[in-house]
Amino acid sequence: MNDTHFKRMKDLPSTHLLGTGTPMCAGCGGLQAINDIYDILGEKTVFINAAGCMTLLSVYPFTPFRGSWLYTAMASAPAGAQGVRDALDILLEKKKIGQEENLTAVVLTGDGSAYGMGLSATSAAIDRNLDFIYICYDNEGYGNTGQQYSSATPHGARTSTSSGSMGYPGFKKDLFSIWAAHKPTYVATVIGAEPLDLARKIEKAAQLKGPRFIITLSPCPTGWGFDPQETMQIGKLAVKSGVWPLKEYIDGKIIHTKVPKIRMSVEDYLATQFRFAHLFKPERNTRLIDEIQGRVDEYWDHVS
Amino acid sequence: MYRIRFHGRGGQGMKTAGRILGTAFFNEGYEVQDAPRYGAERRGAPIFSYVRADKKPIDERGIITNPDLIIVADDSLVNIPAAGVMQGLNEHAVLLINSRETAETWQNRLGTKINIIVLPVNSSVPNPAEMPFIGAACVGAAARLLGVVGQSALVDAIHEELQDQGPDIIKANCDRALEAFEYMALYENCVQQRQAASALDYQQPEWIRPVFEKARIAAPTIHAGLTSVQVKTGLWRTLCPIIEYDRCNRCWWICSSACPHNAINVDGSTPVIDYDHCVGCMVCVAQCPPHAISAIPEAEADSEIKKSMQQLAH
Amino acid sequence: MMLARRLLTGNGAAAWAARLAQVDYIPAFPITPQTEIIETLSRWIDNGEIPGKLVTLESEHSMITAAGAAAATGVRVFTATSSQGLLYGMEMLYTVAGWRVPFVLINVSRALASPVTLEPDHNDVLAARDSGFLQIHCATCQEVLDITLMAYRLSEDARVRLPAIVNEDGFYLSFTREPVYIPDADEVKDFIGEFDSENMQFRASAPTSQAVAVLGGSPYSYFRYESHLAAENARIVFDEICDEFEQRFGRKYGALESYHVDDADYVIFMVGCFATKAKAAVDSLRKAGWKIGLLRPRLLRPFPGEKISQLLAGKKGVAVIDQNLSMGKGGILHCELASVLYGNKDAPPVLMSFIGGLGGRDISQEEFFEIAKQLKQASETNEIPAPRLLYTVDELRQIHKLQAIAHVERAILNRDHQNPDSHE
Repeated sequence: MNDTHFKRMKDLPSTHLLGTGTPMCAGCGGLQAINDIYDILGEKTVFINAAGCMTLLSVYPFTPFRGSWLYTAMASAPAGAQGVRDALDILLEKKKIGQEENLTAVVLTGDGSAYGMGLSATSAAIDRNLDFIYICYDNEGYGNTGQQYSSATPHGARTSTSSGSMGYPGFKKDLFSIWAAHKPTYVATVIGAEPLDLARKIEKAAQLKGPRFIITLSPCPTGWGFDPQETMQIGKLAVKSGVWPLKEYIDGKIIHTKVPKIRMSVEDYLATQFRFAHLFKPERNTRLIDEIQGRVDEYWDHVS
Repeated sequence: MYRIRFHGRGGQGMKTAGRILGTAFFNEGYEVQDAPRYGAERRGAPIFSYVRADKKPIDERGIITNPDLIIVADDSLVNIPAAGVMQGLNEHAVLLINSRETAETWQNRLGTKINIIVLPVNSSVPNPAEMPFIGAACVGAAARLLGVVGQSALVDAIHEELQDQGPDIIKANCDRALEAFEYMALYENCVQQRQAASALDYQQPEWIRPVFEKARIAAPTIHAGLTSVQVKTGLWRTLCPIIEYDRCNRCWWICSSACPHNAINVDGSTPVIDYDHCVGCMVCVAQCPPHAISAIPEAEADSEIKKSMQQLAH
Repeated sequence: MMLARRLLTGNGAAAWAARLAQVDYIPAFPITPQTEIIETLSRWIDNGEIPGKLVTLESEHSMITAAGAAAATGVRVFTATSSQGLLYGMEMLYTVAGWRVPFVLINVSRALASPVTLEPDHNDVLAARDSGFLQIHCATCQEVLDITLMAYRLSEDARVRLPAIVNEDGFYLSFTREPVYIPDADEVKDFIGEFDSENMQFRASAPTSQAVAVLGGSPYSYFRYESHLAAENARIVFDEICDEFEQRFGRKYGALESYHVDDADYVIFMVGCFATKAKAAVDSLRKAGWKIGLLRPRLLRPFPGEKISQLLAGKKGVAVIDQNLSMGKGGILHCELASVLYGNKDAPPVLMSFIGGLGGRDISQEEFFEIAKQLKQASETNEIPAPRLLYTVDELRQIHKLQAIAHVERAILNRDHQNPDSHE
């Protein structure tokens, strides 16, 4: 990380590129991360979007992007990136456009698309060694439709389709590992609450070629049930409790970029959000809390 | 037929208010239609819901454009044309508005012929922006103005609609609704049902046949960047962040980086809030290391913003 | 100009059209009976015979997304699919049509599941009828080539800017060789011209947001209706292109093929390659003294309703043969035709509906003759029979045999009376 431009917080951009006036919820942790990401990727990009919250970033005639945008559908944003990338390459090769007109294809989807409906299109885009960046804002549920559980919903979380006393019975899919198993150029987890770590990873991804992946955990006041102002604290807690490991996959190796020296208990994280309130009220569900803690501990036991 | 529209902001419970009134009407033996209306807007953005009630089956459908009663939970919406509060407001309709200002003040603003009734803001709450149980209060008041929905139908409806919320919340909502019901005794039965549109005398729609326009014009394509800045999402704000520049460290990055909505610009090393686009999430208030940013109710924000700007000028 | 005439399958003709149109980009996905098209193009590219890039996606849904996205970036795109593939990509057909980007998709018609099968009918392509794609149906391998070339002109015309589906029937065209003139490459290049992306493209110097969402019915209605008006324009534009094509290449096309319709009392109305069988039947019937003709729309979207009304004015009867079935309604073309004839004071008084050729089931010459006979009877008696599936006693007998092997309940229930004729 010595070659990074972002050595300390003061190195982060002081002016921001993404426009204001978008209809994202107050305190949207996904938007916060996208802002930071866009500052680094810049306007020579075309964002290719799948159905989700961020689809509403561009509602005719308003767009917050300085660069370009293409909405596709829920399942096929990586295929949209394929078409755009291939077309740009063809135009470059035929000298119909010069390098100065080139753009980076950036797929932007939520977890619903990334972990579920769009996974097949993503997997194939990696097979084809597509030169693109994929950004998944992961708010751990189908947020745009009112937070139903998705393949990214954590065990025990209440959603509008897992409202029983035990919450969601399934387990959050390990998308980082699934993507990494394809051996793409780069995979990283980030979070808006750790902007320096995020900036370094986006900077690195931007300099590489081939399929590059970013999953940003996106604290969601509306879907998770917390006051919008707590977005940053909850994001930091996700990292400090070990629930959201910050890591990257590059050259076949996985590196943890921020290992909490003393991991806080997951309880400190869970207790901040209404979606886990049933773990504490009316009485404490020690078994479920311990189970969640146990899984986090198990994960970190295997981190050297 | 009664035609009633509730206006509020996302998160203020207007959908539930519409449902409670709908159920209360239903409990009184009415045929009912109720529905919320929201698009991409999020918490804080203007939304509305509406209720129709009649003794006969209801064939009308969709948004109410000729209301008998308009209920405004958040008086800051009146100044926002996009909120559509004023649609169909005329001498016939009653406007019930939750406000700290008087009916006379509103009449001076909106016209003396408009029948305006003020539901006073609950003064026991330290932060008026919070407006707890405002939906229930609006429904309680509305029931009395209508004069055909009684207390027991109202209370039953609250129980029915909030049954998942637990007894404490149900009780608080009932209390607030009945308090408002009592308060409106003077105006009982002041809402009159309007006749449906007449086929004998109607305003002819100005139809036009759209002509072909080339795809370079007529595709859903935006040929520019940054047009979203024209959307003043600052109107969603109910709480307003104010920077006390005397205490600001000029660290510059924290509030500006943290703001999910890019609404804090750094001028040199000084952060300046873009109030046109600050949606009032208060992430900056929570993040500022020297606690130089405070949260002020939007209604009091103007003077505080001025003070802050004066500090900045020095 | 040297004209090469050689034996080509429908799929071969489609591949040649893509080659002559000098397409830049071919997103692909294999499916029977389409696969030969992309194999051919891939081979040409791999051999260095033609430029262009072919990418096999992992589904037709992705394939059509990539096609639309590449067209939206500013290159000429060709793609092809069939049947289940068209349906798998259906979401994107509707989606990319709304982007207003031009490209051509060949659909090789094949009947739809269930039950899954390989041979053709038109339910697949008719499912795309309302997608916003233009839709042109071919009856010969020569048409597949020529119409695909014209489809590029049509789709890319500034008065249209909508993607187009060119349909060829599976097996009966796709795998059937016929002599096909292959036009001169330079002449085609001159005819189609360079791809003009207009202002629909992605460039660093010109930020563009395409395919953005709208909220509310008013803007939505505007954009959708503009696509409709563009498709309506395609009717006139197609005529112009056909004229120019005829001048350049000597082969005459139009929105409709009208075969002995002018002096006919009776007309058979159908699309696709089985229409050539109807033509043969018309020839036989004419020899036997019948005043009968065939009307075959090539253009299905936009629908050449006005021309059809004119051509059918004053006729005694029309028999529509639908190689498709809308469950609970009947033949789709029958409905389409009825809607353009209704209210015309000289519309044919008899409009009959036949469903035939489902899943590749043949339509015999005798069946065409019988259709003509019934049409005449209906006209003379003024009694219009109910819609009919072209299906024979022998076919039903055969299915009963299959059911017996499949141990269906009939084998037990009907043990005592095995006479399939009683069902007729």
